[in-house]
Amino acid sequence: MSREIIAFCCEHSATPAANLAGRLGLHYSENLRLIPVPCAGRVDVVHILKAFEKGAAAVLVLGCEDGACHHIEGNTRARERVRYSRTLLEEIGIDGRRVGMFNLAPDTPHKFLDIVNETNETLKELGGGK
Amino acid sequence: MTEAKIGVFICDCGGAMKNIDFPTIKGELDAIADVASVNLSSDLCLEEGRAKMLSCIKDENIDRVVVAACAPQLKEHVFQQVLRSAALNSYLMSMADIREQCSWAHEGDVTTKACGLIKMAIGRARLLQPVEQKDLLVKQEVLLVGGGFSAMSSAIQLSRLGLHTTLLVGDSALGVRSRELEELLGLEVAPMTEAIDRDKNIEIVTSAELVGMEGTAGNFAVRIRKGGEEFVQSFGAIIFATGPRTEILPQDPGSKSSTRIVSQERLARWLRASSPQPRPRSVAFVFDSSDECSRLPTLVTLNNALAVKRSWGSEVYVFCKNVKVDSEGAEELYHQARERGVVFLKFEDSPGISIEDGLVRIEAKDVLLGQDATLTCDVVVAEEKVSPAAGTDDLRSLLNVRTDSRGFLQDDNVHLYPVASERKGIFFVGDCRGDLDAARIVADVSSAVMGAHELLARGRITVEAERVKVDPQKCRACLTCIRVCPHSAIQLVRIDSEREVAEISDLACDACGICAGICPAKAIAFQGYSDEQILAQIEVLKAS
Ligand SMILES: Cc1cc2nc3c(=O)[nH]c(=O)nc-3n(C[C@H](O)[C@H](O)[C@H](O)COP(=O)(O)OP(=O)(O)OC[C@H]3O[C@@H](n4cnc5c(N)ncnc54)[C@H](O)[C@@H]3O)c2cc1C
Ligand code: SF4
Ligand code: SF4
Repeated sequence: MSREIIAFCCEHSATPAANLAGRLGLHYSENLRLIPVPCAGRVDVVHILKAFEKGAAAVLVLGCEDGACHHIEGNTRARERVRYSRTLLEEIGIDGRRVGMFNLAPDTPHKFLDIVNETNETLKELGGGK
Repeated sequence: MTEAKIGVFICDCGGAMKNIDFPTIKGELDAIADVASVNLSSDLCLEEGRAKMLSCIKDENIDRVVVAACAPQLKEHVFQQVLRSAALNSYLMSMADIREQCSWAHEGDVTTKACGLIKMAIGRARLLQPVEQKDLLVKQEVLLVGGGFSAMSSAIQLSRLGLHTTLLVGDSALGVRSRELEELLGLEVAPMTEAIDRDKNIEIVTSAELVGMEGTAGNFAVRIRKGGEEFVQSFGAIIFATGPRTEILPQDPGSKSSTRIVSQERLARWLRASSPQPRPRSVAFVFDSSDECSRLPTLVTLNNALAVKRSWGSEVYVFCKNVKVDSEGAEELYHQARERGVVFLKFEDSPGISIEDGLVRIEAKDVLLGQDATLTCDVVVAEEKVSPAAGTDDLRSLLNVRTDSRGFLQDDNVHLYPVASERKGIFFVGDCRGDLDAARIVADVSSAVMGAHELLARGRITVEAERVKVDPQKCRACLTCIRVCPHSAIQLVRIDSEREVAEISDLACDACGICAGICPAKAIAFQGYSDEQILAQIEVLKAS
């Protein structure tokens, strides 16, 4: 297993939050690989499973806050898919905690950092990560 | 597919990424078979950098571009312009953010990560396809639903911009309600209705209702019912201005409909026409016990209280929890009211209101004096609740839009513009969106009119063609995408006598990709974010 965390990031919330983190010089672990998506709702179960197949240690789907999704319900759709992927992962013996869905606003770089740090904490227990 | 010729352009932002070893990256990328050229720059977004990029694309016949620099949100448009100058479709570019997401986000040397990010972008770029633009015809007709201040002002403004408008009025005439509120709103309704009557750009359909709607922005087919008959007419955009509904909050149930306990609207009517005889010697206003926003009730109360002072000279008392004077002119009205002797009493718990000997008795605990205050008045103007107009729920489901937590049209989602909805070409203005005062309505009207004008002014609109597209061969018409599309951009169309398939409107689609993520037949391709293009970025993981 590689140490990478793949983060599918909504371009209306998580991607700008990550950019703001960079601009403010808020440092986080290098193992985060951000893949921008136009909406968290774009992320498909296949994308999540493929990331594990390619050896990701964890997969995050990051979308807008509840009730404030740019595409109204993209974030709730994403949450459903993350939940479903989790059951599939558990079936093939991968700990479901390796995939997570989080909501954040574009102007909350600290929340972005918290999510990355928390995921690394979880990975300490599960193996992989930084 | 013939092999791509990829050009990689890397920028160190004038030396702002010291923890990346650029020559090493160049060496590694040069070894990739379909990478034709790797260029290092310090000022890629500036004139000189762009010129070099342009000549490289031309000289080397580059057909896929990768830019590794700052966050795409900042400069993507600049680099897209370079592609266009090189006669390359701007969709044939993929960006790697090596500044915000790499150099600036981590301590120590990040050359390996930066190289990995660029390889992800190369993987994606390899698979990119052009997206062409095309013009769609739009119907230069606007439908305005409503007949109040909001609808009338919208019609007049649209006409000034040369757009033909149909006013669909539920009532038997224009401005019925506005006429009653004329003095409160500080406007004259007659000149407005007369101007509209004369205006050749405005058609009025009264006592009518909207009963059906199909199609998308630029061409909505609207079913209208009038006098038992139905007809369908086509419109490019629709503005709803259906107003609110107000009701007196339940006070003492027995006394609710009494002539002594009245609504603001009723008081306004009295003040305009047949004042009760004898004139009330004392009038009390009560508002803001329900913890809802007291902005509009404050404004209405101040206007009406001053009018009572002017017309009847009565004693005036205002019972309220909070006077909220943040609407335009409210502060000034408050001072005028105090000068004219209006007495304000602040309460916390709702006052008790009852009828006693034909008069109204109000009991409240004044929090400033810390004492119980009891007052007997001729008339009480009771607290009112502003709620969505009757029929709002039917409209919501007919239009397939969402309402906010209080049931008003136009969801309170921070991402939506104030008057725009999740459906392109459909706007909501005025008090159908909540309790707006006249100044806010004026702002609403301008934004909606501008939105409609932008969409319709040219008679056609440029869109990206088939950026998100259903493959008719793969579609099984399961309707899943139609059900989930947040922008109502997908319809079922018949392709032959046997089959119907889903089809996406390029104009209504907002490119979220939710449909592509959910389609069980994997029939929907999203250029730039297709499954292959997303997976190609993941593919790099193992390699690096
Ligand atoms: C009692 C009261 C006092 C107010 N006082 C003030 C004040 O002092 N100062 C201030 O700035 N603002 C005030 N306002 C707020 C606001 O300025 C007014 O409510 C204003 O008239 C709102 O205009 P509108 O066009 O949005 O709604 P309305 O004037 O209510 O018009 C809505 C119209 O839509 C029609 N309609 C509804 N549903 C349909 C349908 N399905 N199909 C076709 N037609 C339909 C209705 O018949 C009506 O003609 C007050 C509001 C109220 C209720
Ligand atoms: S979800 Fe897919 S298969 Fe179903 S109707 Fe839409 S495009 Fe066709
Ligand atoms: S991409 Fe989004 S807006 Fe466009 S058709 Fe699909 S679900 Fe609707």
